[in-house]
Amino acid sequence: MTLRAAIIGYGKMGQIRHRAMERHGGFEVVAACDTHTGFDAGIPLMTDPMQVYDYDPDVIFCCVPNMMIPDVVCEALKRGKHVFSEKPPGRNSDDVRRMRAAEATRPELVLKFGFNHRFHDAIENARQLIAGGTMGDLYFMRGVYGKAGGANYAQNWRNDPDQSGGGILIDQGIHMLDLFLMFAEGFSEVQSFVQRKFWTDVPVEDNAFALMKSPEGVVASLHSSATQWQHKFILELYTRGGFISVNGILSASGTYGTEVLNVALNRLDQDGNPIPNPESQEIRFTEDRSWDKEIAEFHDAVVHGAPVLCGTSQQALDVMTLVERIYAADTDWTSQRAGHAARAV
Amino acid sequence: MYTPVFIDELPDASTVSSRKSELYRLTRARGLTELLLDGTTPWHDRACPGCGQDRSQSGNFSQALIPFHRCSHCNTIYAAKVPAQAPLDALRARLQAERSEASAQAEADAGSRQEFEFVSVLNWIRLTEARAATGRPLAQVLDYRFCSENPAWPGAVARLAQNRGWQFLPLDPDSEPLADLARTLRQSPPDAVLLNAELDRSADPRALLQTIRDHAPEGTLVFVATSCADGLEYEILGADSPSFVPLDRLNVFSVKGFEALARGLGYDCLEISTPGRLDAVILQRYFTEIESAAVPFWSGFFREADRDRLRDLQILLQRSLRSGVMRFVLKT
Repeated sequence: MTLRAAIIGYGKMGQIRHRAMERHGGFEVVAACDTHTGFDAGIPLMTDPMQVYDYDPDVIFCCVPNMMIPDVVCEALKRGKHVFSEKPPGRNSDDVRRMRAAEATRPELVLKFGFNHRFHDAIENARQLIAGGTMGDLYFMRGVYGKAGGANYAQNWRNDPDQSGGGILIDQGIHMLDLFLMFAEGFSEVQSFVQRKFWTDVPVEDNAFALMKSPEGVVASLHSSATQWQHKFILELYTRGGFISVNGILSASGTYGTEVLNVALNRLDQDGNPIPNPESQEIRFTEDRSWDKEIAEFHDAVVHGAPVLCGTSQQALDVMTLVERIYAADTDWTSQRAGHAARAV
Repeated sequence: MYTPVFIDELPDASTVSSRKSELYRLTRARGLTELLLDGTTPWHDRACPGCGQDRSQSGNFSQALIPFHRCSHCNTIYAAKVPAQAPLDALRARLQAERSEASAQAEADAGSRQEFEFVSVLNWIRLTEARAATGRPLAQVLDYRFCSENPAWPGAVARLAQNRGWQFLPLDPDSEPLADLARTLRQSPPDAVLLNAELDRSADPRALLQTIRDHAPEGTLVFVATSCADGLEYEILGADSPSFVPLDRLNVFSVKGFEALARGLGYDCLEISTPGRLDAVILQRYFTEIESAAVPFWSGFFREADRDRLRDLQILLQRSLRSGVMRFVLKT
C-alpha cells in the first residue's frame, strides 16, 4: 500500500526523510512545507503548513525545530493523520505529554519519533547480544557523544533555549540517553554537571556530564559535548561475561567515522576468574541503513498495524524526563538558568 | 554478510619455530612419502576444488612430493592429484597413534596451550548464535573430527561450552566417513556443524560439504575454519611457508574459491573472516633468520618491525581478508 506523505519542515532532515521514503517505495510524497521554497524539490512546496493538508496526505512527517513540534504533531493527529516526528520530541516533557494526550484521542493512529540510533547496525547487534543473554548481566554503560559546536553556533536556533529547550544534551546527548534507556529501561538516581565553557554568551550548555543508576544497579555515565573538537561517538557496555563497544556512528554528516562494533567474551582461568584482555571480535559497518529501517517500521505500523518498537511516545516521554532530571540535578546550572530566564523577562 | 576481525595478543615466535613443529612437519612429510611409495594407493588428478577451473589453466605452486597448483581464477592452492579419502584417513590415524604414544604428556601440555584457540572457537559460535537470527539456539553442535586432531578439545568443550550439547564424530579409518556423517546428521540432527581444520585435509571437500548440505536440517549453521591462500604468508613465502604441510594442506582455499564452492552447493554465506594471528610473526622470523631473503618492501619492513607494528599489520591483514586462516559461517 502506498501512503501519501507530506513533509512539514523541508530542511536537512526533511530531505533525508524524503529520500528514505523514495528508497522504501511505499510512500508518495505529495507536498512539503518550509520557510524556504525557492528551489525545485520535485514536489509542491509551500510556506503555510496548513496547506499540505490540501493534498490529502495519509501521513505527516514533522521535521521542524523543537518548539514547533507539538503544534505540528497535535494538528496532524487531530486531522486523522499518522505522524512521524523528528527528535527531540519538543522542548520538554510537557510538550511530550501534550502530544501523548492528542495521541490518546486517536488510538487508531501511529505516532513515532525519530530516535534513529536504535536502528544502527552496531546498536542492533549490541542489543541482540545483551537481550539474548550471550553477554550475561549488564553492569555498567559509558557513553560519549560529542562534536565541535560548529559555525554560527551562537546564532543557531538549536542554542536558543526558547526554541530548542536546551543545548548539546537535548540536541545530541538525547540519542545516547535513549540508548541507555533501551538497555537499562530506567534510572532511579541521577547526578550531573552541566557546563557552559566555550560559548559563554549562549544561554545553553555546551557540556553535560551525567551519572545515573537503574533500580537494578546498572550504572551509566554520559558525556555530551559541543567542545569535543573531534566528532566522537562511543558507547560501551560492560557485562558479567564480557564487553561491547560501539566506536563511531554512521551519520548524515559522515563525520563520526565508521561504525565499529567490538565484542569480547571473557576467557576464564582455571579458578573461573577472567583473564585480562580477551580476544575481541570487531565488525565494521560502512552503510547507514538506520533511516531506511526506521521508515520501514513506520510503514509497517501504519499499513499492517505492526507495533512501533523504537520511538514510541512513551520512550519519548521517558528520555525527555531524563533530560530534565539531568539538568535539574546540577543545582548550579539550575540557578544559572533561572537567572537567565529572569533577565530575559 | 559480516566480516569480523578477531583481535588478540600477538603470539610468540616460538609458536612457529619450535622443535615440536619441525618434528610434526617431518613426520607428515614421511607419511606422505610412504603413501606415495605404496604402489597400491590409486591417485587421481583433479581441478581446482574451489571454483572448479581446470588445472591446466593454473600455475604450479610447489612440486614438493606431489604437484600443487595455484588457481589462476580464484587463487586457491591445491594438490593437483590426491588419493581416495580412505588411505588418507588410515595414514592420519596411524600418525596420530604414533604421536600419542610418543608423548602423552606433550599432548596434555599442547592441550593446555591450545585452550585460547579453543575458547576462540567456542566464543565464535556463541557470538554468531546471537546475531545469526536463525530464531533458535544452537543447542546441539556436531564436531566433525576436530576431536581427533586435538585430543584436548572434548575436555575443553565439556568445561567451557555451557548450555550446549556436543556430539563428536572422530576419525575412524575403518568406516566410510561420508556415509557415517550422513547417518549421524539424519539420526541426531544438529543445530550446527563444526569443521575446524578439516577441509584442508579432505581429498574431496565438495563431497564433504555436499553431504552436510544434503543431510542436515534446513537452517543448520556450518562453522568452517580452514587455511587461507590469500594470506600474506602464502603470498610472500609460497611453499616455503611453515604452515604449508602438504599432507595437511591438500586444499588451501582462497576466500573467493571457498565462497564459490559454498554458494555453488546452495549454502548461504553469513560470515567471512580471516582471523589468522601468525602471518606477521611467521614473516618476521623468516626474514630475520634468512639474511639473504630479499622481497621489495617486505624484507626491510619485517626486519625493522617491533611487536606493536607487527600487531597493527596483523589486524590490517584481517580487515583486508588477507590472513593465512579463514572462517566461514554457512547456513544450509
